[in-house]
Amino acid sequence: MDWPTTALEVFSEEPLVVKNPKTWYHIHSYGGWGKFFQGLQQQKLLAARCTNPKCKEKRLWLPPRADCPDCWHAMEWVEAPQVGTIYTHSVVTYPGELFKLPPGTPLISVEIDGVCTKLMSWLKEGKPKFGMKIKAVFNAKRPTHTILDLAWVPA
Amino acid sequence: MIKFGPGNLRIPRFEKPVYVVAGGLTDFRKKHPEKNTSQLCTEALRMAVEENDLKVDPEQFRRMVNWVVYSQFADHFGDQLLAAAKIHDYLGFDPLGNIEVKTGGATGGSAVLAAAQAVASGYADCVPVVGWERMDEVTTKVGNSYIASAACKDFESELGWMYAAYYALMAQRYQYENNVPHETLARIAVKNRLYAYYSPFSQNPGKYTVEDVLKNEIVAHPLTFLECCVMSVGAAVLIVADEETAHKLTDKPVQLKAICGGSHTLRTADRRHMPILLLPNETEATYKDYFGKHRQDWPGFSSFLAARMAAYLAYHMAGIKDPVEDLDLLETHDAFTISDVQTYEDIGLRPYGRGREFIDSGEAYFEGKLPTNLSGGLIGTMHAVGATGIFQMVELLWQLQGKYDKFHGDPKMWTRYGKQKPADWKSLQAKNPKRGCAISHAGTGSHVTCAILEKP
Ligand SMILES: [Zn+2]
Repeated sequence: MDWPTTALEVFSEEPLVVKNPKTWYHIHSYGGWGKFFQGLQQQKLLAARCTNPKCKEKRLWLPPRADCPDCWHAMEWVEAPQVGTIYTHSVVTYPGELFKLPPGTPLISVEIDGVCTKLMSWLKEGKPKFGMKIKAVFNAKRPTHTILDLAWVPA
Repeated sequence: MIKFGPGNLRIPRFEKPVYVVAGGLTDFRKKHPEKNTSQLCTEALRMAVEENDLKVDPEQFRRMVNWVVYSQFADHFGDQLLAAAKIHDYLGFDPLGNIEVKTGGATGGSAVLAAAQAVASGYADCVPVVGWERMDEVTTKVGNSYIASAACKDFESELGWMYAAYYALMAQRYQYENNVPHETLARIAVKNRLYAYYSPFSQNPGKYTVEDVLKNEIVAHPLTFLECCVMSVGAAVLIVADEETAHKLTDKPVQLKAICGGSHTLRTADRRHMPILLLPNETEATYKDYFGKHRQDWPGFSSFLAARMAAYLAYHMAGIKDPVEDLDLLETHDAFTISDVQTYEDIGLRPYGRGREFIDSGEAYFEGKLPTNLSGGLIGTMHAVGATGIFQMVELLWQLQGKYDKFHGDPKMWTRYGKQKPADWKSLQAKNPKRGCAISHAGTGSHVTCAILEKP
């Protein structure tokens, strides 16, 4: 038997430090949330609503959920309004490794009428302000199949 | 809307009193290639067993241990699943039972909670809690994306791949609602880095000015580098025991009167409005003018419900009526300056919207009414995540035992870590403190524990 041919790169001799390469990927299923990401390509903002008539939460969930956290009942898909307001905003100057947006992109949290959550997203055009009216835009041409396929512009 | 049922806010109870008897730390550094993780954990354990004036020798101590709790935040960082099994063997505790706890940034606090539960129930009577994080195997940028994979990877991680960005969104909203001068926030960074200056364990100490912090580069608007916690390598150990064992081990046991946990949604997006959960020092009247033009919801993005829950339970469990009056020391999870102000409100040092007063009044300083983060905190001393919550309680224990100088002032402690004790070193030993509180915090407030340590 021969010795293996793949060697680790030595980073330092004293102490001995080596480089462990990582090159594989994960096969990630969105499961019951997949429809939301597919909806973005059809310019739809799909939210979830509890189907239990006894449930107190009548508003929509966005990010959507497959099951209602208040009563564990199944949810149904409902189109959410494509207009909202900016609840908060920031710009990250030193993002982490996997950041895909252009430098200086404003990050925002969005309030939408009838939605019980405040969706995190990004502003594609304009300068963000608290309470600013915005509308949804969708990346249908070359979708990333991530939450980044949804963005907002001034309404 | 969260509506509590009668069982949801039940005050936890220990069937047997729980004590902490000894603590050990490594120094904390950005990189630690000279020592592997098991060496770091052994070093912290050795300090706990050999340098805390225990009445038994190390071999006798080893024979007393009956359960071990391990605390590491992210398998990603160490790149070794089931690392605890390896550490457990290297520490010489094989084949005793053990458990590893994971609740993000609050892992250390939760690990001590798990140890306390074991002791309080009678399951065990002598439990080392061992925590560490090895954050130097990847670049800082990759490290930040690893940490951001502890946000929701489907709906939020992509928006920054950086926890500072998620905190910045909260910070901006907090500022919109409460308008705290940046100078006040900067003072927290200046304070904690100064306290870190007196600690041989610290990674990012320094005598900075408010100006330095304000002029510093921005990581995520409005947070500057100097306002953010460090990324560290290091370990911490705390020994938890029942009353009888505690007295066998030390003449200065400290009681863990309470340690309680709360949680809230991992995504900040999902935080729905609810009535403010009132602490013992608050009434409905405290908040009669709270909501208005800029403040429409609670907890919103300005408050951490998990911290409020943890404090609510722990204060009731420990009989705390007013935290500023009843506590003598506090260690907060100062990951960012602004989240520290938010926490002051969540744990009732000031009502919501008025957290800044805790800094502006001087109460948070050494020799103030409630000195906070005399350890140097996460901004100045360390954030080796799995070790952090344990480190906080080790520092509190030493303060309550009157041992601050022993561990921070001995020149040998400094040379041990290749440092020189500063000529202008000053003791931060609080004067006869009786009660300390430690807040361990994860995510943008996904898990929080609140611990109350009390000198009998
Ligand atoms: Zn429901």
